[in-house]
Amino acid sequence: MITVRHRKVALFVDRSSQQWVVRDPEGNFWIVPSVENPWDHRQPFYPTEETDLEPVPGHYIYVLDVPF
Amino acid sequence: MNAEQVRLEAAREQKAPWKKWGPYLSERQWGTVREDYSEGGDAWNYFTHDQARSRAYRWGEDGLAGISDDQQRLCFALALWNGKDPILKERLFGLTNSESNHGEDVKEYYFYLDSTPTHSYMKYLYKYPQAAYPYSKLVETSRRRGRHEFEYELLDTGVFDENRYFDVFVEYAKESPEDILIQISIHNRGPEPALLHVLPTLWFRNQWSWHGHPDRPALQQLARTNKGSIVKAVDAKLGERYLYCDGDASLLFTENETSTQRIFGVPNRSPYVKDSINDYVVHGRKEAMNPEKKGTKVAAQYRLTVNPGQSQAVRLRLSDVAPPAGAQTNGEDATPFGSHFDEVLQARRKEADEFYKAITPAAFNNDEANVMRQALAGMLWSKQFYLYDVDKWLEERGSDPFKATRKAAPRNDHWHHMYNSDVISMPDKWEYPWYAAWDLAFHVLALTLVDADFGKNQLKLMLRERYMHPNGQIPAYEWNFGDVNPPVHAWSTIFTYRLAKAQKGEGDKEWLKSSFQKLLLNFTWWVNRKDRSGRNVFEGGFLGLDNIGVFDRSAPLPTGGYLEQADGTAWMALFCQNMLEIAVELALTDADYAEMALKFSEHFLWIASSMAHLGDDTGMWDEEDGFFYDVLRLPNGQARRLKVRSMVGLLPLCAATTFEGQLIEKYPEIGERFLQFLEARPEVTAAIHDPRKLGVAGRRLASILDETKLRRVLAKMLDENEFLSSYGIRSLSRYHADRPYVIKAGGQEYQVSYLPAESDTGMFGGNSNWRGPIWMPVNALIIRALLQYYSYYGNEFTVECPTGSGRQMNLYQVAEEIARRLANIFLRGKDGRRPVYGSTQKFQEDPHWRDCLLFYEYFHGDNGAGLGASHQTGWTGVIARIMHLFATLKPEQIIESGKMAYAETTADI
Repeated sequence: MITVRHRKVALFVDRSSQQWVVRDPEGNFWIVPSVENPWDHRQPFYPTEETDLEPVPGHYIYVLDVPF
Repeated sequence: MNAEQVRLEAAREQKAPWKKWGPYLSERQWGTVREDYSEGGDAWNYFTHDQARSRAYRWGEDGLAGISDDQQRLCFALALWNGKDPILKERLFGLTNSESNHGEDVKEYYFYLDSTPTHSYMKYLYKYPQAAYPYSKLVETSRRRGRHEFEYELLDTGVFDENRYFDVFVEYAKESPEDILIQISIHNRGPEPALLHVLPTLWFRNQWSWHGHPDRPALQQLARTNKGSIVKAVDAKLGERYLYCDGDASLLFTENETSTQRIFGVPNRSPYVKDSINDYVVHGRKEAMNPEKKGTKVAAQYRLTVNPGQSQAVRLRLSDVAPPAGAQTNGEDATPFGSHFDEVLQARRKEADEFYKAITPAAFNNDEANVMRQALAGMLWSKQFYLYDVDKWLEERGSDPFKATRKAAPRNDHWHHMYNSDVISMPDKWEYPWYAAWDLAFHVLALTLVDADFGKNQLKLMLRERYMHPNGQIPAYEWNFGDVNPPVHAWSTIFTYRLAKAQKGEGDKEWLKSSFQKLLLNFTWWVNRKDRSGRNVFEGGFLGLDNIGVFDRSAPLPTGGYLEQADGTAWMALFCQNMLEIAVELALTDADYAEMALKFSEHFLWIASSMAHLGDDTGMWDEEDGFFYDVLRLPNGQARRLKVRSMVGLLPLCAATTFEGQLIEKYPEIGERFLQFLEARPEVTAAIHDPRKLGVAGRRLASILDETKLRRVLAKMLDENEFLSSYGIRSLSRYHADRPYVIKAGGQEYQVSYLPAESDTGMFGGNSNWRGPIWMPVNALIIRALLQYYSYYGNEFTVECPTGSGRQMNLYQVAEEIARRLANIFLRGKDGRRPVYGSTQKFQEDPHWRDCLLFYEYFHGDNGAGLGASHQTGWTGVIARIMHLFATLKPEQIIESGKMAYAETTADI
């Protein structure tokens, strides 16, 4: 039996670019700007080996209006 | 009934919500487990004091001398600025566990001077230096100090030299349950005029950010003139409230939201964030304030210059009464203060005096009355709204217990059923701003002096399905709910029940029954989880006594094997006795409980006999020393006693309870079955007190110690070279000052020495010490036990007290002597000094300090000086109950009425 595992949405901060980064349940990363309706203005983000993402508590998801 | 008693009655009958508003704001929300979302569970360093002014809390709020409603939707507290500090004084500062040489410690001077149980009147004092607060000096100096040095205190920094500080008194007086008068009085104790910014602050706890909550509450300016200002607060659930500010004050509006720029390095979406008021006042950043005069956080800014020796007052009013229409447009009549404000404030002060006069024994002098009142004020100020949804918390940190991809949480993983959202009595709202189950059981002993309903509800709370684990364990404390605390809940329950029974003529049997059912679950959890060998000997780990053992009793032993704990087993013997007491009480009107009484009678005997047996095997009782010890059971089957003379060995003495024989009278067949059991199993009673022996007034005694053992243990306990200090019973015998207990294991040497002050190890955070100091709760248990023995043995049983003194005392007199010594910690002696303040001259001699009392966590084993947490009025507040007991109870009443004697003396309160 194949079990489909959904990853949880996760929030990070990339201090070098001063941006929020969200990992969606499919594992895609998004830059979410600090504006009104931030999720609507998201941009794809591709972490590299140099990327240093700092975890942010899950409850900040609501601050960014992330729809998961 | 006096006015406060009328209010208590109205609150009890739910006619008026007199307890809806109270001091439910914590004094430290940062550095708590709830706010910790770090990977490794480093709560102290994850959410720091430095972040607290800028970062919105998830689970609660904190502030200085603050209040909130009982769901903490709306908060009010004080902020101050002396013009020199680098930040506003919005909350108390203290060192984290790793910053200080003896663990976390608040570095401020503040005092809970008064409170009535409905908080109709409250008074708090904060001492604010006029010079810049020495934040970094405290951190750096403390960091350099070792465990053998004293803590570096705020007074040591010199910041209070020449009395250059303000005494800031905050008083609250309720005109009605929802109309609260606030007076802030600022006294300049220094030699020169000094400027102070006083910033009473009103804000909403941030609930809207975390849930995508559509109902965002709002604050807005309604009026502002040089005579006064009004802020309107609207919350969907709370309704409308108004903050009236007397006199000329600017209203500074912002949002109680995280400064993402400062905390995460990401630009803020709005310029109005949690630390905007700080930035405006301290750094003059005008753009930080919302010019539209609205938000979720507001401060009224008063600039006062106070002359030396003079005072000024700021008045406010937080009310559900809307201002008259004119006030909303031009500010006229905007300030409902005037003479009526004074009259209400004065009336509530007077009513508080009347309330305390009614419960203070007539025999008390002024100093004793002051100690008792401040102890109770501290207990009442230590209430806190405690919110912790563990399931949600685990989910937010990616540890959802029902998700396949979950990460393990660093703590409380198995407590996801817990949802706490209640006002709870805290041990200390700065150092321990979280409940601790066994502390709470002691808190109730004191709280019931002023508010029986609150005490009862606190006990009930811990047994509710949202607290107690489904397996029957009572949560210990948030650092590890699954840790094991001594089982004293049943004792506090029957004590509380008896008080109410005596006062009302009838006890609340429904409450007692429901408590009994839940306590049965808890008892069964203990029996099934903590008796490894099934021989009725118990473990439990540290059991609240932190570093008392030679090894860390909560960690795997360096020797391998396990410990049979004298304290764990004694606690269970006492738990049995308390369950037996409850069962007997219930059986008097409900036959179903008679069987349970028999069950607990027999279970007690199994436990007691396993503890005291004299067989070939190594037991806890050491016949040579005449003392109880933990037994180390090694993997190779060998066993040895760990001969540390400590409170662990005195706790078996505490498991003593008398019975009046009503059960046997009402159910003779139960008595017969019990006798059959005793006759069939003579070995059970061979080494313990024989429960068949009748004592004074035909009483029976359940006790591990027979008379011979009792005398032997008492001889040690009452020896001033061992346990008896001038200020109570020490946690470790002074015998170990010259003769440390040493054991070698795993190539390492372990040692226990008498340490009358602070701990010299990092065991359990290093901020507590059970190797010498005096602890109030266990002293209370010893006093309780002595009174039980007295009611059984009567006046004929005497011992030498102190040992070797030649003075003979009966056990009532011994209990009274220990109580007197404990009270002397706080009372001014013949030399005018209070031992609790040790050699701190300021506290001993300055008239503005010397009658302000602090109820510390524990006390120096030789000189009684306060140690550990400085505001642990929590269980140290039990001193109020102890002082009250010996001022109202006569020994002949105990002889006549037994356990009900004291409760009966309180019947008129």
